[in-house]
Amino acid sequence: MSLLTGTPSRSDCPTRPDPDHGLTETVGRRTFLKVLGSAGPAAAAAACSPVPPERIISSVIAPDDVVPGIATWYASVCGECPTGCGVLVKTREGRATKVEGNPQHPMNRGGLCLRGQSSLQGLYDPDRYREPLRRRDGEGRDGFAPLSWADAEAEVAGRIAGLLAAGRGDRIAVVTPALTGALDALIERWCGAMGGARRLRYETYAWEAMRSANLAVFGRATVPYHDFSRAELVVSFGADFLETWLTTVAHMRDYADARRPDAATTGARARSVHFEPRLSLTASNADEWVVIEPGSEGAIAAAMVQVIVAEGRAQVEAESELEGIAALVADWTPQSAAARSGVPAERIVELARAFSDPTAGPGRTLAAGGAVGAAGADAAEAAAAVALLNYVAGNIGATVRLAPQTMWDGAATYADMSVLTEAMRAGEIDLLLLHQVNPVHTMPAATDFAAAMDEVPLVVAMASGPNDTTARADIVLPLHTPLESWGDHVLATGLEGLMQPVMRPLYDTRHPGDVFLAVGRIALADAGPPDSEDGDAAAPLPDGEFYDALRERWRALQAARDGAAADPEPGETDPPAPQDFEDFWADAVRRGGLWWPVAPDPVIRRETTAALDFGNLAPDAAVADGGRALMLVVYPSLHFYDGRTANRPWLQEIPDPVLKATWGSWIELHPDTAAALGAGENQLVTVESDHGRVEATVLLNPHIHAGVAAMPIGQGQDHAGRYASGRGANPIALLDPLPAATSGGLRFAGTSVDLTPRELHRPVYRLQRTFDQEGRGLAQAVTQQALDAGDVPQEAEHLTLNPPHDHPEHRWGMAIDIDACTGCNACIAACYAENNVPTLGADQMRLSRTMSWLRIDRFVEPPEGSATTTGADTRFLPMLCQHCDHAPCETVCPTYATYHTADGLNAQVYNRRVGTRYCSNNCPYTVRRFNWFEPEFPAPAHLQLNPDVTVRSVGVMEKCTFCVQRIAEGRERARDEGRPMQDGDVTPACAQTCPAQAIVFGDLNDRDSRVSQLSGDIRHFHAVARANTRPAVTYLRKVLR
Amino acid sequence: MNGTGAVAGTAGRIPRAAAAPGVRYARIDADILGTMRSPGLAYFAALALAALGLALGAYAFSIQWRVGLGVAGYQHPIYWGVYITNFVFWVGIAHSGTLISAVLFLFRAEWRTAVARASEAMTVFAVMTAGLFPIIHIGRPWFFYWLIPFPNERQLWVNFRSPLIWDLFAITTYLTVSMMFLYLGLIPDIAAARDRTTGWRKPVYRVLALGWDGSSRQWHHYAALYAFFAALATPLVVSVHSVVSWDFAMSIVPGWHSTILAPYFVAGAIFSGLAMVITLLIPLRTLLRLEAYITIHHFEQLAKLIIVTSLMVSYAYAVEFFIAWYSGNPYEQGVFYDRMFGQYWAFSWGMLTCNVVVPLFLFWRRIRTSLPALFIISILVNVGMWLERFVIIVTSLSHDFDPANWSGIYAPTWVEGAITLGSFSLFAFLFLVFVKNFPAVSLNEMKETADLDH
Repeated sequence: MSLLTGTPSRSDCPTRPDPDHGLTETVGRRTFLKVLGSAGPAAAAAACSPVPPERIISSVIAPDDVVPGIATWYASVCGECPTGCGVLVKTREGRATKVEGNPQHPMNRGGLCLRGQSSLQGLYDPDRYREPLRRRDGEGRDGFAPLSWADAEAEVAGRIAGLLAAGRGDRIAVVTPALTGALDALIERWCGAMGGARRLRYETYAWEAMRSANLAVFGRATVPYHDFSRAELVVSFGADFLETWLTTVAHMRDYADARRPDAATTGARARSVHFEPRLSLTASNADEWVVIEPGSEGAIAAAMVQVIVAEGRAQVEAESELEGIAALVADWTPQSAAARSGVPAERIVELARAFSDPTAGPGRTLAAGGAVGAAGADAAEAAAAVALLNYVAGNIGATVRLAPQTMWDGAATYADMSVLTEAMRAGEIDLLLLHQVNPVHTMPAATDFAAAMDEVPLVVAMASGPNDTTARADIVLPLHTPLESWGDHVLATGLEGLMQPVMRPLYDTRHPGDVFLAVGRIALADAGPPDSEDGDAAAPLPDGEFYDALRERWRALQAARDGAAADPEPGETDPPAPQDFEDFWADAVRRGGLWWPVAPDPVIRRETTAALDFGNLAPDAAVADGGRALMLVVYPSLHFYDGRTANRPWLQEIPDPVLKATWGSWIELHPDTAAALGAGENQLVTVESDHGRVEATVLLNPHIHAGVAAMPIGQGQDHAGRYASGRGANPIALLDPLPAATSGGLRFAGTSVDLTPRELHRPVYRLQRTFDQEGRGLAQAVTQQALDAGDVPQEAEHLTLNPPHDHPEHRWGMAIDIDACTGCNACIAACYAENNVPTLGADQMRLSRTMSWLRIDRFVEPPEGSATTTGADTRFLPMLCQHCDHAPCETVCPTYATYHTADGLNAQVYNRRVGTRYCSNNCPYTVRRFNWFEPEFPAPAHLQLNPDVTVRSVGVMEKCTFCVQRIAEGRERARDEGRPMQDGDVTPACAQTCPAQAIVFGDLNDRDSRVSQLSGDIRHFHAVARANTRPAVTYLRKVLR
Repeated sequence: MNGTGAVAGTAGRIPRAAAAPGVRYARIDADILGTMRSPGLAYFAALALAALGLALGAYAFSIQWRVGLGVAGYQHPIYWGVYITNFVFWVGIAHSGTLISAVLFLFRAEWRTAVARASEAMTVFAVMTAGLFPIIHIGRPWFFYWLIPFPNERQLWVNFRSPLIWDLFAITTYLTVSMMFLYLGLIPDIAAARDRTTGWRKPVYRVLALGWDGSSRQWHHYAALYAFFAALATPLVVSVHSVVSWDFAMSIVPGWHSTILAPYFVAGAIFSGLAMVITLLIPLRTLLRLEAYITIHHFEQLAKLIIVTSLMVSYAYAVEFFIAWYSGNPYEQGVFYDRMFGQYWAFSWGMLTCNVVVPLFLFWRRIRTSLPALFIISILVNVGMWLERFVIIVTSLSHDFDPANWSGIYAPTWVEGAITLGSFSLFAFLFLVFVKNFPAVSLNEMKETADLDH
């Protein structure tokens, strides 16, 4: 609390509702505890005096809801990607220390991905903007000099006023992300008030192909929701639905549930087929990964439609439409698709028959397409083929649901950005307001957005941290991070997330809504009374601050909801009494939003698909672009999305789930391809397309099409902070600047490149060097047939001379279902956040010195049969301390620094360690980590440290503790409530965040606990059972379908 | 006659001459005590060089102390490396001293006399050097005393199940016994030096000589005690390196966890120790002009012992590989395959060449009686034995149970290099100081076994 200076905006300070409301709601005990602090962020509330005093000691009289030592949780919305999952943020003494998924949120249901976990590092980014800055070349940080808010606002407002006075509001351009809710409405209104300023909702991945395909096929330019929980067959056309493709956390949960071989879901074990030229994380999780020629996704989908219609397997109500559909896809027979894609025609036919089986009924399968990595010139047509495929299988409205409205409906396309760029270049823009966007990085180098910025007299960047675009701005206005902000997020109708600040802003930053309001008001005042004849454009700005605007929107929302509820349903006579708004608001803030079931839009297929040109589908690579040696596959990064989360050491140091590479980006090549080029692992190559050139490090992977070079998006930034700058290469720089004809999207696919090896190595270090487990059975599997027959090999009982430990009360244990685990790394990020795990930086990764307590071993079983088209059997094995009953580490420690506790933990006494490191040598799982250096948490990152967990010093060993602090918390809570501990009282960070719910923790002494039952599952095995360490971690075999 | 007169301890037997024939007592006195005359420039140059190396090592260690062990080349999961290699290497070097002075004494191998003193000194200094490495190696060296069981206010105790604690006891026991053994043998010689020295060294020798006057009673006690210490030290030859081997064998690491490790380590220790004795004595006899006392005959005897121990070590290698194959244990097989054909292949084949192939040349009498050849072979054996410890430690750790964790190649940093150099320098420094201040060849035993026909 002592470090806080600066003037928080009043809209950071919630009006505190009656605290009683927190007690009257019928909620579960844990939920109650988590939302105990729902009345608003205590720290922010505590800081709401006009002149904040500087305190050098903690509050002696703390706010009512801040009890030292007790965490306060706030519900909010994750701001790391457009999905906006619900989160609960744990604060301790006014500091956010951990982010978890909100169990009540219908999207993520308690899970959270690693980017969401890392939002704390966005908040505590040491490179954040701390005050307004003005470009002054040669002065200050990166050529910027500090500026006061008043001066900054006056300068921007002055420019606007000038333009307003001249009636040239159209020379103002505002580029924001795909905002929703109150902020979006506010900016929309602001643009109107500022004389019709141009407004773009720019997202790097705006799903243009899907939107234009759905417009053509269903008459709705929207992005549907894909329900993987109900699909018995998932066919993905390059859609990385477990990584960045739309609502990935929800997909992971649903996908795992649909495939979980528990008794409860017998018969519904979904089969999954994935077409992609490279083994992505999503492909790794498919039953069948089918290597295809890049760019042929649409051809396969069209051929499947063709087969389904031709064989009379279509399951649509209006049979008359089939003729038109058949005509559309007539060119794509299984044979022609096979010739284009390299997938055998029989396989396409078999898959088509399985996809739409009239005997099984409609709506039982799911095709996913329109992926970024597969978006070429034919992106819209390919997405339309997938939409048609879902349509003919009767999936629309079942597994593929179109909401009345989604956040994507109003998003700009890449083509819109291209138009704006040209307008800037032509000198048509006098003021460019860039709000949390980074087009210099996310648009192709050939568009030269940076040069276009130079043509704009005043470029204002509103951002919380630096990036390549803000570095070129004239004025930088620092913003709150999502964890410091009020806001709301509307993913789709019925999914209203409410964001609240969880702590007082760290620096002299502001909310974007308040910045727009302040600038707008000054500008309007300067420009004089509005021209009354201008109608809408002169609509005044709302009164108050953004916080008031937000509440106004929610007041309207309540009215709409109550209005809907007022219609008496049949059989219901008494409509519920209207709720007081303050109650409604307090409930919403406590819950983290408001969501209600929405019936999917009834969709009638549009007859006209004239906008689509199926002749354009799957163009031949040689024709498509230049015919250079290799097709470039550019794909969004699981860790960095489009690069916005690159300056986070957790995400840099946690290895890529497939290649296990850290701190960098790369160009992924097949070893044969690289050998033909004369390039080796870690060698630098010049990658040249018709549109650009970058230098990238080669990483070899046998699981990629030999004619393809794959590069992840996200790195290759120059001014993105200390962790991201100058790291890796940006593949977007290589792309064709011309938007795709039909969709207006950026053509991520379909660019060919030449590679020239350089006599230089720029290593990207990997934390795993071999992916072959050499038959050691670390990650075991069982076939579906064997499982159904109950024929699963069980572990032999090994004898031991040592008596077992006595665990009188509890024995903590864990069960990890490696069939459900997708390898998504969320657990690792959660562990970093929970346990104060330090990062060491790129150089130390050369020596594999990651401090991660949890790693995910990835093994690929050698393929049986043909290597090119059969799926690689990838197994992910989360590896953490196994808390062995016969722990080899315990006996060899000369100082008893590691020992066995009465409740079965392999405990660590950091203070007792001298650092002989024998324990690590003797650990068959090598999960122990040694502090080679004193860990560093550069300010303000130290504020994130969990006060319940020791920060380890140099020279001591550390490892997973099963989140012993959470066990202690659970035990104390049970004691306070005067009851024994129950199953579910303790959830370690990794298990809590796992989107697939693959990790279950509990008491092995309790025969009824979930972990006990899973540990006795027929699929159970132990890693390195031969060492007879009797681990407390039980794995469940992967099921080969 | 001074107080170091011979005693008829070996009367009734015609000993094989320890020294060249025709050397008289007076000349023995003059020659051996002559080694302690004021040294020349070469000696001081060597001493300065050793001091420089030691300073460099100390500097490197100070950096490691301040910054953390990260300055060394360790990588996950190779948590033991050069320091432990050095530790085992120096403990091994320490072994032949006891073997030569104690075991061969008990077996009445009289040729040992000429080389026993140097070997004993080598033993003590090698153990002292070795003893530093566990401290250098640990993460928090300022807490090294937590490894020692002593009643303390923290009410903490050590874990006697840990082989590291056994090791601590083994090493300290060995250091104590070998120091006492060295000192005991030195007492009559110190007395001789006391009688002939003037200046500042005289009072030192007087104290150290413990009032030795060469009386028959003293000689009687001396002989009894010497034999007693020899008997006490002999089991230590076996036990100390067995315990050191248990640091590895008691773990479950494939490549370490093996019952053969104890005899294998003992044989290897003696093997390397004998090689080190040769390495040291060849320049020493020239520098100190002891050609008449340390003769080709002695070197030949040492060379024969090297052949024996080399064959034992070779046998151990063969058994290790055989058992790895025969066990059917995939982890064991993986380690041994990787050891020979993995990224450390050059180290392993170098080890085999130096320890198995090179000593075979000693079967030729021409070679084992040629000092240059012996010198080269002894150096190679030392290199090979250092490599052996490195290979055992590093390859086993780098290639254990979980393939996902197999590491890249472990490359020691300059810090580890400087500290290793420092350890050799420390050893050389101590040895150089010793030979100029104490008789490097046992005066009394030399006389005892001198050819009395003259």
